[in-house]
Amino acid sequence: MRHEGAAVEARALSDEQRETALKLVAKYPNPRSAILPLLFLVQSVEGYVTETGMREVAGIIGLEPAQVLATASFYTMLKKAPQGDYLISVCRNIACTHLGGRKVIAALEDRLGVTAGETTEDGKFTLESAECLATCDGAPSLQVNYEDFYRMSAVEAVALVGRLERGEQVTSFRGEAVKSAREISYETAVAGLQAPGTAGELSERTIGGESPRSDTAPGTRPKETGEGSPNA
Amino acid sequence: MPEEVRIVTRRLHEFPEDSWRIERALDDGAYESARKTITSMTPDEVVAVVKDSGLRGRGGAGFPTGMKWSFVPKDVFPKFIVVNHDEGEPCTFKDRQLAEEDPHQLLEGIAIAAWANQATKAFIYCRGEFALGSRRLDRAINDAYERGFLGKGIFGSDFDLDIILHRGAGAYICGEESALLDSLEGFRGQPRLRPPFPAVKGLYGRPTVVNNTETLSALPSLLENGAEWFRRLGTERSPGTKILSVSGHVNRPANYEVPLGTSLADVLTLAGGMLDGKAPKAIIPGGASAPLLTSTDVAVDFDSLKEAGTMLGSGSIVFMDETTCMVRNALVTLEFFEHESCGKCTPCREGTWWAVKVLERIEHGEGRDEDMDLLIDIANGIDGRAFCPLGDAASWALRSNVKLFRDEFERHVSEGRCPFDGELVGVSGSPARHEGLGGSGTAPQPGAGMPSDAEPEGN
Repeated sequence: MRHEGAAVEARALSDEQRETALKLVAKYPNPRSAILPLLFLVQSVEGYVTETGMREVAGIIGLEPAQVLATASFYTMLKKAPQGDYLISVCRNIACTHLGGRKVIAALEDRLGVTAGETTEDGKFTLESAECLATCDGAPSLQVNYEDFYRMSAVEAVALVGRLERGEQVTSFRGEAVKSAREISYETAVAGLQAPGTAGELSERTIGGESPRSDTAPGTRPKETGEGSPNA
Repeated sequence: MPEEVRIVTRRLHEFPEDSWRIERALDDGAYESARKTITSMTPDEVVAVVKDSGLRGRGGAGFPTGMKWSFVPKDVFPKFIVVNHDEGEPCTFKDRQLAEEDPHQLLEGIAIAAWANQATKAFIYCRGEFALGSRRLDRAINDAYERGFLGKGIFGSDFDLDIILHRGAGAYICGEESALLDSLEGFRGQPRLRPPFPAVKGLYGRPTVVNNTETLSALPSLLENGAEWFRRLGTERSPGTKILSVSGHVNRPANYEVPLGTSLADVLTLAGGMLDGKAPKAIIPGGASAPLLTSTDVAVDFDSLKEAGTMLGSGSIVFMDETTCMVRNALVTLEFFEHESCGKCTPCREGTWWAVKVLERIEHGEGRDEDMDLLIDIANGIDGRAFCPLGDAASWALRSNVKLFRDEFERHVSEGRCPFDGELVGVSGSPARHEGLGGSGTAPQPGAGMPSDAEPEGN
């Protein structure tokens, strides 16, 4: 770990979680490749991608915090504000819309008292309209914390919310137990971590070192040394 | 009565309870094709079989797989295989099923591709939203390591192969192969300028083969049975079978595996026909990017659909009946492209944004007479000017909706309302865009819609 001096800064990750983060980094030849898993790890701890978490990820990977934010802001699954325990993502795309998906969204907005994109005041639910979830054979479909629910009418969707509210264990159309938002973020972060194979070794040379990335893309890709980072 | 020809989807149909478990897959002969290929064929021989087979990429572009492989320089190491499992093309759900229900076929295909290209590291870029698929892949990879199908000296050979599972985080554009590579390197997923192509300079600047899940899943049976066998299925220029994701107003929406060249009418029959016996009004033959068809009298293969002015794309087919509002269809489609535009180039970023604005006011009964021409103009302003195919696709979809169903668009304008069962409920993940649409999902209040002379904020 190169940024020991960052100890004065607030930390999102515990020592154990930092170990996990380093194992994730070690999977890749270039530490920057671990940015998405590390941000999912932060989300699993903080509930969303916090500034503290992004600074910490920047320190681990050897980037500027702004570079971490630039990447994080691109991806819809990395949340920039506190989220509910249950993220309900209703498909708004073609097949689902033509079969009544927007009515499901409207019914859930009424039931939860929020507009799509918002979280209920009690912090229990976040409702969002999602692009195609590749479950068009089950249109209209939705996901609760990324588990799939097929052929949902407005009535069924509202009933599903009631079951979640009462704390019942809910299983998806495919028989998978719905996990909490933090649990599923953790699962996403550590996907593939158990497998013995890596694409590279964690070493002093590669951490924060010059990226072996190609320079095929136009635009600015400054050399990322991590030097001068506020965490350094 | 048309029938499926199940090859890539055979195991998952025969063993629906546990086709994804390694014990079942091994009972069913999984990994035998990869074992034989790696222990008895040279890499060049494998490339030759795939070339001879005429297998074309199943992700959307239909590029010949063997030719893609042949661009990989032989003397540069390391090389990478990257599996594009970021399925996101609207109404496509085949890769999801393949990974969830037959992950070992995919891993076996990766092993064959890795041997052919002499790549010892493979990444599976798994769409972030695919929780179950990722779980199944994760377990399959671990099980394959335990049995020596992955790791050091696979199948007793001296060839090493590691597979690294990598999750996306929600971005359609990462299904574009060069954007996927940027995402895998930890950047925003924005397309790269090509050439150089990934085969020459890909992941970390190294030679990289990016193949779709369905393409790789087709390899074990292809190598088992040979190029000639493969060519007996499908057409001359589109050999083999293709999984078609069929959805919309049909009785049995599902994935159907058929020989390429099967008629669209037969595909509809396979899917149980139209709901309530209605007639199809519009058909999307290859994902949201593909221009619409209005007839089922066409063969489903790369060339026939191209001749019909559209494309096979990812092989997702949406049938829409007469109750479908085509303005709504265009709006939903363009909302998607607007949301997923990566923002790198102006024609796509601004063009899709404007198209949504104009389509919204038409759907909400506030359209103007000149709006149809304006939409065509916007489409023409994107087509051929965007940095990557996302912008082009948006323009094709927009143009085909307006051109084929102009009368419906005009009715919206002349009647000042949507003539179908109520307007599209104004719900969106981008609340700012829908300000004044009447709040929580209800129909817009009179006079509260998008003002017809509105200008975009901040432009």
